[in-house]
Amino acid sequence: MKRYVIIGTSAAGVSAAEVIRKLDKTAKIIMVSDENYPVYSRCLLSYYLANDIPEEKLKYRDEKFFDQNSIDPVLGKKVVKIEPQKKVVLLEDGSKIEYDTLLIATGARAKLENIPGKEKYGVFGLRTISDAKQINTRLNKTKTAVMLGGGLIGLKAAYAVHKRGTEVVVVVKSPHILSQIMDSEPAEIVQKHISQKGIQIQTNLAAVEILGSNQEVEGVKLENNTVIQCELIIVGKGVQPNIELVKDTEVKTNYGIVVNEYLQTSVDNIYAAGDVAESNDLISGNLTINALWPNAVIQGKIAGYNMVLGNTKKYDGTLAMNSVEFFGLPVITCGVTKQKDETIEVLVTKNENKPVYKKFFIKNGVLIGFVLIGDVEQAGVYNSLVRKKVDITKIKESLVSEKFDFAKILPLVNANKEKFFEPEYCEIV
Amino acid sequence: MVTETKTKDVATNILKQISEERMIDTIWERYLQQLPQCGFGLLGLCCKNCNFGPCRIDPFGEGAKTGICGADADVISARNLLRHTAAGSACHSDHGRELAHTLLLVSEGKTEGYKIADKEKLYRVAKEFGVQIDNKPENVIAKELAIKMLEEFGKQEGELLFCRTRPPEKQQKIWTENKILPRGIDREVVEAMARTHMGVDNDYKNLILHTMKTALADGWGGSMIATEVTDILFRTPRPVRAKANLGVLKEDYVNIVVHGHVPILSEMIVEASLDKELVNLAKQKGAKGINIAGICCTANEILVRRGIPVAGNMLQQELAVATGVVEVMVVDLQCIMPALKELAKCYHTKFISTHPKGKFEGFEYIEFDESRGLSIAKEIVKIAIENFSNRKKELVKTVSEEQSLIAGFTTEYVYEMLGGKYRATYRPLNDAIRDGRIRGVAGLVGCNNPKLLSGYSHFIIAKELIKHDVLVVETGCAAIECAKYGLLTPEAAFQYAGKGLQEVCKAVGIPPVLHLGSCVDNSRILTACCAMVAEGGIGNSLDELPVAGAAFEWYSEKAIAIGWYFVASGLLVVFGTPFHVSGSKNVIKFCTEEVEKITGGKWVFEPDPIKAAHIMIEHINKKRQLLKLKPMMYE
Amino acid sequence: MKKTIIVETEKCLGCKTCELVCAVQHSNTKNLELAVFEQPTPVPRRKVEYINSVIISDGCHHCEEALCVSACMSAAMYKDVDGTTQHNEEKCVGCNMCIMVCPFGVIKRKGNVVVKCDLCKGRENGPACVESCPTKALKVSMQLQQIS
Repeated sequence: MKRYVIIGTSAAGVSAAEVIRKLDKTAKIIMVSDENYPVYSRCLLSYYLANDIPEEKLKYRDEKFFDQNSIDPVLGKKVVKIEPQKKVVLLEDGSKIEYDTLLIATGARAKLENIPGKEKYGVFGLRTISDAKQINTRLNKTKTAVMLGGGLIGLKAAYAVHKRGTEVVVVVKSPHILSQIMDSEPAEIVQKHISQKGIQIQTNLAAVEILGSNQEVEGVKLENNTVIQCELIIVGKGVQPNIELVKDTEVKTNYGIVVNEYLQTSVDNIYAAGDVAESNDLISGNLTINALWPNAVIQGKIAGYNMVLGNTKKYDGTLAMNSVEFFGLPVITCGVTKQKDETIEVLVTKNENKPVYKKFFIKNGVLIGFVLIGDVEQAGVYNSLVRKKVDITKIKESLVSEKFDFAKILPLVNANKEKFFEPEYCEIV
Repeated sequence: MVTETKTKDVATNILKQISEERMIDTIWERYLQQLPQCGFGLLGLCCKNCNFGPCRIDPFGEGAKTGICGADADVISARNLLRHTAAGSACHSDHGRELAHTLLLVSEGKTEGYKIADKEKLYRVAKEFGVQIDNKPENVIAKELAIKMLEEFGKQEGELLFCRTRPPEKQQKIWTENKILPRGIDREVVEAMARTHMGVDNDYKNLILHTMKTALADGWGGSMIATEVTDILFRTPRPVRAKANLGVLKEDYVNIVVHGHVPILSEMIVEASLDKELVNLAKQKGAKGINIAGICCTANEILVRRGIPVAGNMLQQELAVATGVVEVMVVDLQCIMPALKELAKCYHTKFISTHPKGKFEGFEYIEFDESRGLSIAKEIVKIAIENFSNRKKELVKTVSEEQSLIAGFTTEYVYEMLGGKYRATYRPLNDAIRDGRIRGVAGLVGCNNPKLLSGYSHFIIAKELIKHDVLVVETGCAAIECAKYGLLTPEAAFQYAGKGLQEVCKAVGIPPVLHLGSCVDNSRILTACCAMVAEGGIGNSLDELPVAGAAFEWYSEKAIAIGWYFVASGLLVVFGTPFHVSGSKNVIKFCTEEVEKITGGKWVFEPDPIKAAHIMIEHINKKRQLLKLKPMMYE
Repeated sequence: MKKTIIVETEKCLGCKTCELVCAVQHSNTKNLELAVFEQPTPVPRRKVEYINSVIISDGCHHCEEALCVSACMSAAMYKDVDGTTQHNEEKCVGCNMCIMVCPFGVIKRKGNVVVKCDLCKGRENGPACVESCPTKALKVSMQLQQIS
């Protein structure tokens, strides 16, 4: 009976466990997590914080998940080290778990900047259910909240806190919000929309110090020496992968844990998936972490297959994608979303009144990325063009058309049957 | 299915773009929103005439072959066709009725601003109708004529007068033998509706025969009356120089756009705009004067009689408003898009409807009444002048595109033009055809449609025809479209026409494409054809003439009626897209083949404009051959 | 077995009957004349699309490797025991992740949640669109599914 150990009970861990159980009915599966909470969806925390959903709905799998899949859960215990030679993982309480094959799906944690005063009570990330609950408590004492960072996490948190009736100021170091995933023109449309709903946004400013006596947050000082009085600070400055457990082992790391196309690490019986795994980017081919839910689920699945059946299923690479909605304005981005150089052709269509904004990035005739604001319904069709890397020259005009839909790419599907090989494409005859 | 709606007309594209930027949908955008259009409708396989239904016939095989009543594809599509034709015929004929009624009011002295403008024609048509002229005063003759004309509409038995006085004998014989010579105008339309009720006429051939009868009641009835009375009241057109396209709307003038079909209104608006007091008032408001421009067929009516500029054809009605300089758009009936009401929300333009039969939600309504015709027209002009100062500066976007043209050629004028006033005759035209200078005559008529090339096809076809020495006569929106591309100028002959046609145009000083008027004036093509037969030498009946017609970009039910009265009169008619009967092979076969054995005319459906032109040329060649005319002079 | 709807483009006349009956089937009243007045307006889960003269009535393909299921972070989108891809509106938070990855663009928004073809689950005569297609361009297909 084979022993599979999975570190992490989020997206990648869960999907791997399910696949392993499906393929091997008798194996022993152990899942370890430092959180003392069953399987929940991190991405829903901002919805929970906003009171859009009750705590109950955070659950990604129901309570019976471990039982139903005959998984032994080890919860509330952090893995401090793995020992590949001995095939064991060491927990913080000193106990050990043996494995035949290991999946590291430890994810990532909120990056806290090195700002003086960051240890004061009232400074949080929004990454775990415990973060969310602490913020919840703190909100009772909060008149003004400051978000450090104008990325997706910062803005989603800002939306949530605003929804709870708290004054919100978003402090952004870059010249505009969402600077990681789009350039200034689309960002300004989103920025305008959010501002109109009552969230203050201050750009081109960094926080230099978190103020407050008695170890409680009372304000934040910015680099222009202004001070914003606030009781709550949420830091949304990106995440960093949890790789400490493989420090000083044969498991190769870069920014995260490096994996090959089978999601296998440099150690044969150790795989990694999710936000901790650094794999080849679908577009650039470079090692990248695109920390997001769909990637984690698919990586977990593929890792699970390969852990059971040997390296049989390939991962075609990680793709940057994001979907958010702010006050009724949906935004979806995918792939390359900035014009890095002149070899990238850019197509834009916009209608500021609605607002609708679409921007497409094309290189050598291939769609390599897009930004959609307002009208996102056909995002997946564009997404498939990015993934299939087909020459879209023939349909370039309909790409930007309001009437774009799957039918418009039918000529490409028919001309590239080897790339559109999925059986579903044969269901239109 | 056309999914690309760029037009070739620069002015149209500029203002279409502007409208898009202003978030105002135009007909092109709305067309795209409809795609794909329902195939059952396109094939004519949907019947909702009764509450067994709606029913649809599956043209492929696994689904239903008949409706609930048992009507198959043939019956359903033929019934639909007859209903469309009846509507088209009704529309033209009601227009004719309006004019006959106005003639009656004029003769009774009950109107303001109208008079008998063409006495010669009054006498001629009155005689044709059997009115005793003697020494009767003009108004008495007019009254008797008007009453006789109005009787044509309500006649229950007998025969339509023009069907007996004008066409060659052979056509009359064909109509009598096939029982399709119309009795009364209204009667045939009413019968069309009765026959298409469930359980009445269930023979597709019989339905199509009545389709022809209903259409003939339009061409040789309602439309012909409309043309003749319009000439009597507002005078028979003569060639006149004018300009066309959206550039005729000028920023520094008070602009009034008249749109619709019936000249009873537009003639008075033009008259009112000449009023010195009103012109002075416009100047006081800072305008240089009052500019009247037309859209659609009412444009053609005042163009051919008064040289009033044409702002555009029916596809450009929204774009005229998009210039931001139209103070008033005043409309009567037909082809006025309900979409205009959306423009009222954005522009300062006041939209005024005038007819109890044609009201528009969101328009102002000023009921037109012939007894106060000029006063009401002045009132409307005054509203425009007052509205001049309300222009939204930021929305002003005039364009420079305007094209010179000559219009106003009529059946009567062709006599003079070719023969001179004192020896008026069709002889030179017939000789030119007989000798092979001119191959034949083609009528290009009808609408513009975003499904095809938004009008540009007319230009392509006309160019191809005149290149092959076919003299082109035009009416309606087709004529406006060709005007925009400069074909209605004598110079166009040198640029585009074949050598033989060029010689004729040069000798007579005419354009190679002649503008005959509005869409009811297609009756002029019928009478011109009759004149050609009468002159002799190129055929003893209409079906023998080297003549063909097209309403290539048709959209309207009126165009179906027009096409059918030409086919029933023995001529070939080309449509770019078929009327909605393609789901029935039998009906299509009847329209495109079998009908030729009955009337000598037939339908051709051909979406390629160049091919369409050559179908017409080939048809003309065939007729020339049958007549044993000389070979073409320069071939 | 994989259950899905096959579209024969040559038979599709673009009449949009499938859109209409789909919206009615997923309305509260399930009655055309009443459904048109419902608020919010019932949303069809099929869409008649076109390119040049080819017309397609498209809806969820119930993909074997359903990207929408992988992308769903609230587990609202799931694979049912019969292999169809189903969606639990109760769990949906409207994050649009499924829309972001659906290669056919057939997942739609309805208020705060998304909706998609459920193959008229539980409907006695099978999918309403298939039943009502006047040219039989739509057919339910059962295919042997590869082991996934």
